[in-house]
Amino acid sequence: MADVKKHDTPMLEELKKGPFPSFVDDIEAKGLKGKQECLDLLGQLELSYKHKETHWKHGGIVGVFGYGGGVIGRYSDVPDMFPSIAHFHTLRVNQPASKFYTTAFLRKLCDLWDNRGSGMTNFHGSTGDMVLLGTKTDQLEPTFYDLTHQMGADLGGSGSNLRTPSCCVGKARCEWSCLDTQAICYHLTQEYQDELHRPAFPYKFKFKISGCPNDCVAAIARCDCSIIGTWRDRIRIDQKAVRAYIHGELKPNAGAHADRNWGKFDIQKEVIDLCPAQCMWLEGETLHIDDSECVRCMHCINVMPEALRPGVDTGATILVGAKAPILEGAQLSTLVIPFMKMEPPYDEFKDFVDKVWEWWMEEGKNRERLGELIQRKSLQEFLRVTELKPIPQMVKEPRSNPYVFWSADEVPGGWDRDIKEFRKRHAA
Amino acid sequence: MAVNKEELKQKILEYATKKAKHKSKMYIKDLYKADPSAKPREIKNAANELVREGKLEFFSSGSTVMYGVPGYGKGVEEAFEEGEE
Amino acid sequence: MGNASQELQRLIDFEMEQGRENMDVSELLQKPYDPELAEKLYDPKQPMKNRITDIGPPHYAQFFPEVIKKNYGKWLKHEIIEPGVIKYTAESGDVVFAIRCATPRLITTDTIREICEIADKYCEGHVRWTTRNNLEFHVTDEETLRALLDDLKGRKYPGGSYKFPVGGTGACVTNIVHTQGWVHCHTPAIDASGIVKAVMDDLFEYFQSMKLPAQVRIALACCLNMCGAVHCSDIAILGIHRKPPLVEDERINGVCEIPLAIAACPLGAIKPATVEINGKKIKTVRVNEERCMFCGNCYTMCPAMPLADGEGDGVAILVGGKISNRISAPKFSKLVIPYIPNEPPRWPGVVKAIRKILETYAHDARKYERLGDWAERIGWEKFFEKCEIPFTEKSIDDYRLAYDTYHTSTHFKWTIHTKKFE
Repeated sequence: MADVKKHDTPMLEELKKGPFPSFVDDIEAKGLKGKQECLDLLGQLELSYKHKETHWKHGGIVGVFGYGGGVIGRYSDVPDMFPSIAHFHTLRVNQPASKFYTTAFLRKLCDLWDNRGSGMTNFHGSTGDMVLLGTKTDQLEPTFYDLTHQMGADLGGSGSNLRTPSCCVGKARCEWSCLDTQAICYHLTQEYQDELHRPAFPYKFKFKISGCPNDCVAAIARCDCSIIGTWRDRIRIDQKAVRAYIHGELKPNAGAHADRNWGKFDIQKEVIDLCPAQCMWLEGETLHIDDSECVRCMHCINVMPEALRPGVDTGATILVGAKAPILEGAQLSTLVIPFMKMEPPYDEFKDFVDKVWEWWMEEGKNRERLGELIQRKSLQEFLRVTELKPIPQMVKEPRSNPYVFWSADEVPGGWDRDIKEFRKRHAA
Repeated sequence: MAVNKEELKQKILEYATKKAKHKSKMYIKDLYKADPSAKPREIKNAANELVREGKLEFFSSGSTVMYGVPGYGKGVEEAFEEGEE
Repeated sequence: MGNASQELQRLIDFEMEQGRENMDVSELLQKPYDPELAEKLYDPKQPMKNRITDIGPPHYAQFFPEVIKKNYGKWLKHEIIEPGVIKYTAESGDVVFAIRCATPRLITTDTIREICEIADKYCEGHVRWTTRNNLEFHVTDEETLRALLDDLKGRKYPGGSYKFPVGGTGACVTNIVHTQGWVHCHTPAIDASGIVKAVMDDLFEYFQSMKLPAQVRIALACCLNMCGAVHCSDIAILGIHRKPPLVEDERINGVCEIPLAIAACPLGAIKPATVEINGKKIKTVRVNEERCMFCGNCYTMCPAMPLADGEGDGVAILVGGKISNRISAPKFSKLVIPYIPNEPPRWPGVVKAIRKILETYAHDARKYERLGDWAERIGWEKFFEKCEIPFTEKSIDDYRLAYDTYHTSTHFKWTIHTKKFE
């Protein structure tokens, strides 16, 4: 047994019970093998359970030289009780796109982190990084040198930088993906390394890439620029498979509802009637889709994956401005580009991003997200600076108030008028 | 308008040093005022080069990153160290 | 990079042409970790010496299992053959099974090493994580699949919990996305890992089965900043503060830049002030407490303005959000329970409230209907009635765009809130 001190943690003991993996058991075992930080972390957490308050405070100037992001400072407010975690900073390490790993990579990362830090991690942070949890200030530079020299890895984003882009599994394993999500994610991450590592913007900026409208990385809810795969041709139909679903030979929704008896599959009730565009019908046992009416919600494809597939003329719908509630309330992304081809070298997309950033850097207030700036300055102004044409797809419905900001050049004769001329026609 | 990068860096440094006497942490937006004719991206690139040269430094709260001039004001980290005495 | 499909190779070649420095890190990874190398390379006096910067993440394709590389862009279909196991078939006829396991996200290097040991034994040294903190092992034949499932079932922590429980597919409660809580954050109102553990223990049967009307996504964020982006989840557990920040007059000017603290407030509720302490005038701030929405942004900028409070803090429950565009548009979660006190270590109030909502939904909703779509169909007044949640003024919006949520028609249903329909 290593020379470590375990704190009394009766409340955390309760979290060893039950079937879901216990983080307490994991961290405690690691601690007993010689990592005092693990035991101190549990000790401090027990104290938080007692006080119902956190015992962490934050810190400012920690980081690696020349980077303005990737490290989050953290200090214990009870360092006398838990000295090994008095300084307990976090490093965000940029994950490989869609989070596949080899054990060679992970093992070396574990060796590195056991040497440089607490041995605790978040796999992964909300944004997508591998999060190395807990080290001292003097270990930050060596950790960074280890990552870059020995792993070929680099830090991710934090602060008012571009945050680490992330994506769904995409074409690597999903037949629905309309985009090379990893390729786009990797390319943007590499192209914008400066923006990722150094403050560039009024506040954070996030890209997320989902291969289809099922949106498995929650791009539409979480990021300033959502890239979501779609298609502009016909859904591919295999009528033989349609019949197989109708006759119960194939499991609806790929077996996702298998543990409850929902009765016999009913294509009318479960697919056709639920279609939000009402653009499908059955003639005998042949399924018809009016693709010109389809909104590509994925429901029919999700329910009958062996019969229906997205089209082949694929690209991305671009939406902007999603964010969590702070400050102006939560926002979902707004549709601004219905369809864009996303092929290397992605120039059309990067030109768009350049225009967006230029405007936001110029006009955005400190700590103002893109979505909030669009709200403050109007979607119209966003469209002007990005040189996009207003189209009805951008709104749920037209405005109901008449307060249009006309400009002088839209009105014949402009706004220069003479009151005397006016009075010649109208007595005062 | 492309400006000479070295001149721009000098302007930013002078501006930041002057400001730092009463407000030691600046947003990138504040630094735009060092040269209103320069593009935000040029300012960002010049300021970040000053950081690499050690003439400016970053200050991070986690959610935002600001610029400071070494030697001016309080880093939160120092503040904590002192506060614990 | 091995035997990549044409489609994948084209993407790799394009990035190679861009001259990326760390496309292929396999040679680096062959060398053992050298714990002394950094000290030899790094010189604090010359920080730019030997510094490698801005190389970004290593290229993704080198981490793909062979079957994934080979069939990239050529997948044909998939099927959930049992809870937690998805079988993918490619145009080539190749098959891969993905075995999905929950993790608590907060894991040690020892757990990662154990994952590596499993991946080496069954998966040719490859493993993947999902956006929702699940692990995915990939195997290509049934025999290995069965052996791996058996192996995973037997791995338990000393307290009896599963290390790698298989599930989280289809119409289930999959793993909870969550933040750091008291484990590592400075502004949380609640813990994260402890609540997640308690809720997932209680809902474990729903993680390992597919008997719900549709998938139910649960997320937890430990304060209003919502790092976990819980605002579009079927069920969201949100930490809230309910007391405005304290102001430490004696300390504030020493530890904070007062203008930054003032600017940090989203609602402009912090104003500069001067107080006299022991005959000395001291610069400080005052908080307009009526305007405070308890977000904690001031504390982030100023350690002399703490707001955590054991008695004041707790959990709010929001429901009915979704991300997917399937059938209905993505939508926000709505606040239905404004406050449940913190009850460590197992938060019985939160666990009970979530189970009641989940089971009412499971019993009542139609196949494919998400929780929010169900609530909209039956009407929110019915939601409150059926779930036996008291409706309070806290569920009525009074922030920006609040009017959008008010009811401006004569369509409503009779519930316990009016006079019940007999």
